[in-house]
Amino acid sequence: MKRNYKALTQSQLSIWTGQQLNPEAPLYNMAHSFDIEGFIDNESFKTAFDQLIERAEVLRTVFSVIDGIPVQSIQTGCEKTIEILDFSSKKPKEIKNWMKRRSQINFDFTKPLFDSVLIKVNEQRHFWFLNIHHLVTDATTSTILYKLQVELYKSILEGSTPKIKDVPAFDDYLVYKAVQKKLPISQTIRDHWKTKIDSLTVPLKIYGKECSATTSLANRVSLKLGVDRSKRLKDLASRSEIRSWTQDLTLFNLFTTAIFTYLHRVSGQQKFAIGAPSHNRSTKSFKRTPGLFIEIFPLLSDFEDKDTFFSVLEKVKLETNDYLKNAQPGMSSPELSRSFNVVLNYINVAFPDFNGMPMQSEWIHPEHCDPGHQLRCHVYDMNASGDIEVHFDLNNDVFHESLQNEIPQHFLKVLDALIEDVNQSIYEPSLIDKVSAIDLQPISEFIPIIKQFELQAIQTPDATALSFKNTSYTYQELNQKANQFANYLLTKGINSEKRVAVHLERSPEYIVAVLGILKTGASFIPISSDQPSQRVSYILEDSNCHFILTNNRLVDNITSTQIPYLNLDDDLSSLLHESIEFKCQDSLQDSLAYMIYTSGSTGNPKGVLISNKAICNYLNWAKSYYATKEKFIFPLFTSVGFDLTITSTFLPLITGGELIVYSEADHGPDISLMEVLAQNKVNSIKLTPSHLALIRGADMQHSNIKTMIVGGEDFKVNIAQSIQNSFSEDLRIYNEYGPTEATVGCIAGQYTANHTEASVPIGTSISGMSGLVLDSNYNQVPAGVVGELHLSGFGLAEGYCKLADLTSEKFVTNPFNPEFKMYRTGDLVRLNEFDEFEYLGRVDEQVKLRGFRLELTDVEANLLTHNNVQNTAVVIIENEKVIPEHEVVNCLNCGLPSNYPNTDFDEHGVCHVCNAFEGYKDQAQKYFKSEEELRNILTSQRGKSPNYDCISLLSGGKDSTYILAQLINMGLRVLAFTLDNGYISEQAKENIDRIVSKLEVDHIYGTTEHMNAIFVDSLHRHQNVCNGCFKTIYTLSTQIALAKQIPYVVTGLSRGQFFETRLTEELFWDENADVSTIDDTILEARKLYHQEEDAVKELIDVSMFDYDDTFNKVQFIDFYRYSDVTLDEMLRFLKEKVDWVRPTDTGRSTNCLINQLGIYVHKKEKGYSNYSFPYSWDVRMGHKTRTETLEEINEVIDEKEVKRIADEIGYQVSGESELKQKNLVCYYTGEKTSSAELAKHLKQALPEYMVPSYFKYVEKLPLTKNGKVDKAQLKMLSTSQLDTETPFVAPNGDIEELIGGIWKEVLRLKQVSVHDNFIALGGHSLAAIRVTARINEEIEMKFPLSKIFEFPTIIEYANYIEETLTKLLDEQD
Amino acid sequence: MNEKLIKYISEQLLNNELEDDLEAEDDLLGDGILDSLGMMKLILYIETEYEMKVPPQDMIIENFMTVQHISNYLAKQRS
Repeated sequence: MKRNYKALTQSQLSIWTGQQLNPEAPLYNMAHSFDIEGFIDNESFKTAFDQLIERAEVLRTVFSVIDGIPVQSIQTGCEKTIEILDFSSKKPKEIKNWMKRRSQINFDFTKPLFDSVLIKVNEQRHFWFLNIHHLVTDATTSTILYKLQVELYKSILEGSTPKIKDVPAFDDYLVYKAVQKKLPISQTIRDHWKTKIDSLTVPLKIYGKECSATTSLANRVSLKLGVDRSKRLKDLASRSEIRSWTQDLTLFNLFTTAIFTYLHRVSGQQKFAIGAPSHNRSTKSFKRTPGLFIEIFPLLSDFEDKDTFFSVLEKVKLETNDYLKNAQPGMSSPELSRSFNVVLNYINVAFPDFNGMPMQSEWIHPEHCDPGHQLRCHVYDMNASGDIEVHFDLNNDVFHESLQNEIPQHFLKVLDALIEDVNQSIYEPSLIDKVSAIDLQPISEFIPIIKQFELQAIQTPDATALSFKNTSYTYQELNQKANQFANYLLTKGINSEKRVAVHLERSPEYIVAVLGILKTGASFIPISSDQPSQRVSYILEDSNCHFILTNNRLVDNITSTQIPYLNLDDDLSSLLHESIEFKCQDSLQDSLAYMIYTSGSTGNPKGVLISNKAICNYLNWAKSYYATKEKFIFPLFTSVGFDLTITSTFLPLITGGELIVYSEADHGPDISLMEVLAQNKVNSIKLTPSHLALIRGADMQHSNIKTMIVGGEDFKVNIAQSIQNSFSEDLRIYNEYGPTEATVGCIAGQYTANHTEASVPIGTSISGMSGLVLDSNYNQVPAGVVGELHLSGFGLAEGYCKLADLTSEKFVTNPFNPEFKMYRTGDLVRLNEFDEFEYLGRVDEQVKLRGFRLELTDVEANLLTHNNVQNTAVVIIENEKVIPEHEVVNCLNCGLPSNYPNTDFDEHGVCHVCNAFEGYKDQAQKYFKSEEELRNILTSQRGKSPNYDCISLLSGGKDSTYILAQLINMGLRVLAFTLDNGYISEQAKENIDRIVSKLEVDHIYGTTEHMNAIFVDSLHRHQNVCNGCFKTIYTLSTQIALAKQIPYVVTGLSRGQFFETRLTEELFWDENADVSTIDDTILEARKLYHQEEDAVKELIDVSMFDYDDTFNKVQFIDFYRYSDVTLDEMLRFLKEKVDWVRPTDTGRSTNCLINQLGIYVHKKEKGYSNYSFPYSWDVRMGHKTRTETLEEINEVIDEKEVKRIADEIGYQVSGESELKQKNLVCYYTGEKTSSAELAKHLKQALPEYMVPSYFKYVEKLPLTKNGKVDKAQLKMLSTSQLDTETPFVAPNGDIEELIGGIWKEVLRLKQVSVHDNFIALGGHSLAAIRVTARINEEIEMKFPLSKIFEFPTIIEYANYIEETLTKLLDEQD
Repeated sequence: MNEKLIKYISEQLLNNELEDDLEAEDDLLGDGILDSLGMMKLILYIETEYEMKVPPQDMIIENFMTVQHISNYLAKQRS
């Protein structure tokens, strides 16, 4: 039987493809059950259905694949029919379950795609089950078929002719669509959609979920709005300011407004798309045609700050009109479909009764859904009952079960608010029910800390409490010393009303003083030794302190005040005469324990008042949470003015443990950390992630530290991972979060290997404290949604010293439990699915630097006091973020990792380099030549040179060995040259010696005494060792060639390496360019390469490169430019002819032992291997497979060996790369002043960590539209740009902007200044080729390569271009 | 103008399937002759045919209720 095959429509094709991708999943089954209340005559029903099959082609449409293309055709007859079942023995519930299972069958596409069953429940009730594959149906089709069945059944019963017109064929639509597609307007419409989705940048992340679904499994969670709510919605829809063309369109607009708002509230995103199916039945007859008509088009949201439901609706109205106008048949595309992951399906069809018998329809969800649609929302009232149903199909991969149940409730909150008051702010409704009053329970009774210490002293009087260097104190001794101190303080009038400042370094005296103060009931104010005197004076005055404890070294800081003090270095005999007994004051729970000053926004620090109850709440919790069988032994090694240090100070002393004091070095606390680790006496430690970055990679297997509490700043998972690996397995790492205002720590959790997000979650609230995630309207947000963290509980500070306004602004009444205050942290967090808080940044300008908290305005205010500074802006600049290793993906084609700078992957996972290469692949081919040509070149001068025809660079690896053998095969006189860089492996050397003797070739090892210096320089400049090594080889071999009059040096660079070092895309832009032009450019670049300033130029004699003639006398030939030998062929040849053996002693596929240091440093500083790029080119050129490449670039590096080699050559492996990632940068206007001067000025008032590392003079500060300083702009400079002394001036004018744009692209900068120096920014000869080629392309000139080094700034180069152009114009005149 | 619009609506959007001929006074949306998709198709047709843009604020029932309304609106626009 000959069939008429038809192609599939776009909608059919996407369903077909989706089904092919999920062959076992019934994700496109559209099943309905029609629950008919009344008697059905089985025979008549069956006859009617058979007639329906005859009339409706969709029930006879089948699919097949011809030549790989799916096609559809219509069978003339149909072997399928309706099944009749009697389920009168089953309960309706069982029947419904049966239908659910039945809806999940897989259709055979070569047979009609329906499944129809008539089920008898009893004489007076029947279910008609009709399941049709989406390929041939849609919602309208279901009603068409249902109504036809009713008509046919009726006519059979009555014996009359059915009152139905012919059923139009789907074919008519195909013809119509084909005509439409050719209309000129179609292109306009296609462009319209493309432009529209191009404006979208990031996919919608619902509840912060970034995952893409891998399963089609989805649950349907349903919501009935109820008759009352549905009516109110319809009433709203009839209001004139709400109304659109029709009631259905108005309802659609209202639901779009609601779902937009809902999605905006649970994603935080302003601009995103959802898909909405258009019924696409534009004519009357199409409205009667069964078949898949619908196409899905995107609707875009556009939220602004002050939106109300009404303002959103107004925008939605425009959007849907625009949508309807452009929703033309055949205009959807896979590209459009990828722009959304949510679908709103508003269905305005209904099923009437069945031949006068009441009927209830139900759409049965097959529990599968297109995985591209994470959330589908269907809105319909198919039974015309006046009760609108909203069904959510939710992908199981994306949404876990409890969230699936919450989603409809969250949506309903939004919808209800819209119905309630359309003019209210969209942020008004809370998405979740008000939390019940918080029930806060402290973990145990509040016994003041000092009492707890005294109890401990009674319990374990002889245990060691405190040690420092060689001395130690038992609990009893420490307590007695503290008692003496307390008695002394009493004589100075100190009591529970008073405050005592302690301005001391870390020392046993500091501990004794703090304990003594607490005994009197007074509070202490720790002021660390590194605070500048101006700041110390401010704190002393501001805090109303009554007495100061200090020492000789620090006493100068306090002389400006009149407050009495004790210098502990003075004669202390009076103190020693005090009694060793003391009756401790009963400190009230709300009385102050201490006051800590943190950075304030006004230029002065602010004092945070902490009560005894607050500190007690924290320590009681910490005592039990961190408890192990061992007593705590903590080091005191962090700044005493830092609230993080409170843990180390008190936790051991109230638990019978030991506190070991480490004194301060002159420059910060970091050195004492090394001492702590080296001495290995402590078992617990409290520190910051920046501290951990310092010890990353060190072998700590033998450390006694088993409890590590990390706090103070964002804790990255990759640091946690590497620390966990370098310590023994039983180390427990905790992340503890807490602003000073909530006393040390109030949220905490243990790091586990399951944590794979970028940062370790901060955990859950500690006992007695509660964290709430609220939006700006104080609404609690659902889990997953970002909001500001608010804290309540016993650990809250009493407020700020003397800052009543700030206190009432930050400590507000808890709306959920007015008994408590609530502290607004300014920290952005969200709850993950395990109910842990995740820290996501700040809402304001407060920043954390190395664990220290600071307000940028604090720095700015202090800088403005300098006479030369007119205005200033201070920003934190973070260097390129290193993508954590587990998030890196590799190009599916070449293996290039996604953390390679500026990499872009398309939807197929292919990188931009591969895609670009497709465009000039053919062009690039012409660069490569044949072995024949190589032979011609090399033999052309055979015999002319007195000694040798060429030098062959021999590393001993397979590639260079192969070359050597081939050259000898050509009958050439070859001199083999090897650079002995000191790190060639033994086996590689054996290889070399064996090869040269077997091939009977002369061979020399070149060396230089400067090799190590060259390595170190190369590591600094290029983060690898190879660049330095290569340049040395070129230089030394050129020297030999000149001396021995050898015309050629043959290199063994791979084709991949050409693209790393010589070839760039730009060289192939000009299709007509001759290869010799390319060669000239490359030679030009090589001359420049030898002029670059580096260790080779400095240490080795490179004077010959000053003469152009040298490049004529000695030419470099890249062997693999001419040879395209496969790896197999090469290895076979080497084995048979040369006896080459792969070295096994380098641990990798190289001959060089130092190579791994280069890879290690490169990976550490840049995140990816230096081989990633050249190897990706080897894959592209077909010389390596992706798998081989990935194996090599992901090889594990032996860190110990790397460190040993680094020490050997004198390279300091930086442990601080983590620290260097954030820099405090100050921009200022006024008079240009030296950085040292400004830093000195700030140091008078600010601690060291608040002094910017860079000061950059600008003529004026960039402003935003609103006239504020545009800090985003200021954050764009890289550290090398900041390093220069030149002022920042953005490019101005066409030419400067053109060059600036090109520089940014080629040098991968976010921002350029016209005074930036090309070389200082890392511009090398290859970059010069690219920049020059692009400029020449744009201006249609032929500027020589060298000009960029002659005019290395944008301003100079722009001048040069302008002068040249003017000159040319003059000449023409 | 009425005729041209009636012709387009009858032939392109209704396939001449209306029981009685379309009259200039028939309520296009209220009588279910067109749905909103059809209405926007009509607007697209008008925009192309008369080389004009119907601004969003003009897309209201008052301007597009019947063919007569549309003609009046267009006449006003083009005067």
